[in-house]
Amino acid sequence: MTTDQSDIIMPNLAGVPTGRRFRIKKVHGQGEIRQRLTDLGFIKNEVGSVIREALLKDPIEIEIKGAHVSLRRSEARLIDTEDVG
Amino acid sequence: MNFQRGHRHRHGHASTTAFDYAKPIRIALAGNPNSGKTSLFNAITGQHQHIGNYPGVTVEKKSGRLDYKNYHIEIIDLPGTYSLTAYSMEEVVARDFVIREKPDVIIDVLDSTNLERHLYLLLQFQELSVPLVGALNMSDECDSKGIRIDHDLLSTILGIPLVKTVGSKGIGLSRLLDTAIRVAKGNLPTDQRHLNYGDDVEAAHNQIIALLETDPEFTRKYPVHWLAIKLLENDHDAIQKVRREHMQTDLVLSETDHVRQHLENHFKEDSATIIAEQRYAYITGAIREAVTIARSRPAMDWTERIDRIVLNRFLGIPIFLLVMFLIYQATFGLGNPLAGYISDWFAHLAEIVRNLIPAGPLQAFLTNGLIAGVGGVIVFLPLVILLMLGLSLLEDTGYMSRAAFVMDKFFHLFGLHGRSFIPFMLATGCAVPGIMAARSLVNKRDRIITILVTPFMMCGAKTPVIAMLAAAFFPKNAGLVFWGVWFFGWIVALTIALIFRKTLFKGDQSPFVMELPPYRLPSLRSVMIHMWQRTLAYIRKAGTIILAAAVIIWFALTYPKPTIDSQPIADRSGSELSLSNPANTVAHPLRFSYAGRIGRGLEPVLKLAGFDWKLGVSLVAGLAAKEVIISTMGILYGIEQESPAATEHSDLTSVGYQISRDPAYSPLSAFGLMIFTMLYTPCLATLVMVKKELGSWKWAFFQAGYTLGIAFLTAVIIFQGGALIRLIF
Repeated sequence: MTTDQSDIIMPNLAGVPTGRRFRIKKVHGQGEIRQRLTDLGFIKNEVGSVIREALLKDPIEIEIKGAHVSLRRSEARLIDTEDVG
Repeated sequence: MNFQRGHRHRHGHASTTAFDYAKPIRIALAGNPNSGKTSLFNAITGQHQHIGNYPGVTVEKKSGRLDYKNYHIEIIDLPGTYSLTAYSMEEVVARDFVIREKPDVIIDVLDSTNLERHLYLLLQFQELSVPLVGALNMSDECDSKGIRIDHDLLSTILGIPLVKTVGSKGIGLSRLLDTAIRVAKGNLPTDQRHLNYGDDVEAAHNQIIALLETDPEFTRKYPVHWLAIKLLENDHDAIQKVRREHMQTDLVLSETDHVRQHLENHFKEDSATIIAEQRYAYITGAIREAVTIARSRPAMDWTERIDRIVLNRFLGIPIFLLVMFLIYQATFGLGNPLAGYISDWFAHLAEIVRNLIPAGPLQAFLTNGLIAGVGGVIVFLPLVILLMLGLSLLEDTGYMSRAAFVMDKFFHLFGLHGRSFIPFMLATGCAVPGIMAARSLVNKRDRIITILVTPFMMCGAKTPVIAMLAAAFFPKNAGLVFWGVWFFGWIVALTIALIFRKTLFKGDQSPFVMELPPYRLPSLRSVMIHMWQRTLAYIRKAGTIILAAAVIIWFALTYPKPTIDSQPIADRSGSELSLSNPANTVAHPLRFSYAGRIGRGLEPVLKLAGFDWKLGVSLVAGLAAKEVIISTMGILYGIEQESPAATEHSDLTSVGYQISRDPAYSPLSAFGLMIFTMLYTPCLATLVMVKKELGSWKWAFFQAGYTLGIAFLTAVIIFQGGALIRLIF
């Protein structure tokens, strides 16, 4: 599915502060990046947490599905989330 | 084990089909990256490995043979993948291998501590309808993490035999092989059923299967069930297969589109995602039943503890630089003296041959051509071995991903990847190991860009050339000029990388998203095997071509010899010989060689950058190895040298002395020459390595050409621009 412009207002993973837990509402993007995110466990309703960020606040480290994953903020922006503490 | 008990009745009729013991059982080893697949492979096959490439691609293919009980077994190590989509070469290779080569059984290696993710790949292999065994690897780590897997139950749920293993310690291997053999022989049926994707998807799926089955030829070749799922997922490679080989291409594809659209409209979701979510949901269910995690989690998680320091926002980069410094020191600090011994030894060998065989073409070929050429290959060995040791340590411990995490932001600005730093850093020692190191870049495009710009670094062979010129022409500011040139190499590398990203690879988004695997202590055995294999591959593949190239360059510098009467005539006729400089009146045989002719032929063009024919010859010779530029200049100035290695130091200063006194050059043209040397076509060993790593001469030739163009353009701009400025002021 293509990204609806109206979805932009949803909070996304790029904005989740370090240490917070989140639940994935929707994953945008297409093709390879979408597939990689799926492979590493970024799917709807999955709960994860933001572990840390690199020096210039990018990339970020996420814990999801029992593993640690690193992604750029531009990629994190594809993932709509809600805060779960 | 439960499944063994369940099938004990097999003994009754196992022998009804005669088993051909002479024919090897072919086992394909699959698994996620970081599943411990490689150490399991090493533990099973030991030294008996063969490394090659999958046909037509640069994906490495490792295989091994062993005799186990009464069976000949061939094990093929499939590339490590998370999935079986068509987005990466590795995944396409893995699935095509299974479809085309039909291995007797697949062992999927699973990280027991992270089954949720690893079962995702297992399910996709199950969809391929192949005999399958799961290895619950790293099972020892489960205990310490409080994870308990009821593997009998899990095996029953999945319909796939599971065996606990610890690859790094060689535990569970015979049970794994026994199980795999039984599955391969058909004595232990694995469940070929697949998970239920829900009524809507199943209906769509069945529709596509019915369409595919209209071509029996096609369905014999491909597992229909799997292909139908792939078509639903809009997998471009699967669509390609139908387009090329199915009788009813249009019908199948248009109906598939229709069915897929319908599904996507219904679920308001992309079809691949619908299917992926179903797979994950199924896995979650299976794990909920068969896996329990002790609530009281162990007090310390070593990986997290280390990462708190290693990936700390402020400590991350200093630690990374320290690690790089150590690897660099280990590679070159230890490797260069060893390389020195090797080249001394070859010089000594040449000396012996010179004494044994009378002077003449044969002696010259043996000493200057063959022995020097073989030496040129062997001299890299210490660097290659040490580098491979360092790299496999970085990779196997899990630090490589951390390095990428720490460095990514900076390199991403230039269209590169965090991991591009390692090739760059190593190339400041030698571009050959630098280019080898680029294989840690998973994405092909990242790898190509990195390899294309890596040789702009100041390598160990360019260093003496630049240093000599800096000292000769800028005696007061030699250090400053040297570092300026060094820095200029970096600027060009990063700028060109950015240009390539914006032009050649325009619009290509290489995902950065990657796993940060838990830190692990690699087994000595794995590291040693890895190192040894790479070294052999270097000698076999690169060594032979480097040797051939060295002999060709030697030939071009030596032949044709000036004939007795042509020499004085040529001496008198050359207009440049009327100049007063002694170097130009020396009618060295080099002048008449093919390389000399090329140099002289190029002179009109080289003049634009302020170079003359002597530099032309030297730069052509420098294609063999950049430090040869100095020794060729030395020959042209008639500086006698007994052994290149022994007199290198004095040689260097005397060439510098001669060249600085040569009226053909000015500080301006010398500066242009330094920049040219820094940027122009990499040495042949590097180009051969590029061909080996990228799998085609196309990129090697492209690199040879574009670097030459950039180097020449820059040198001309410096020379002409400098002359213009002098004219104005």
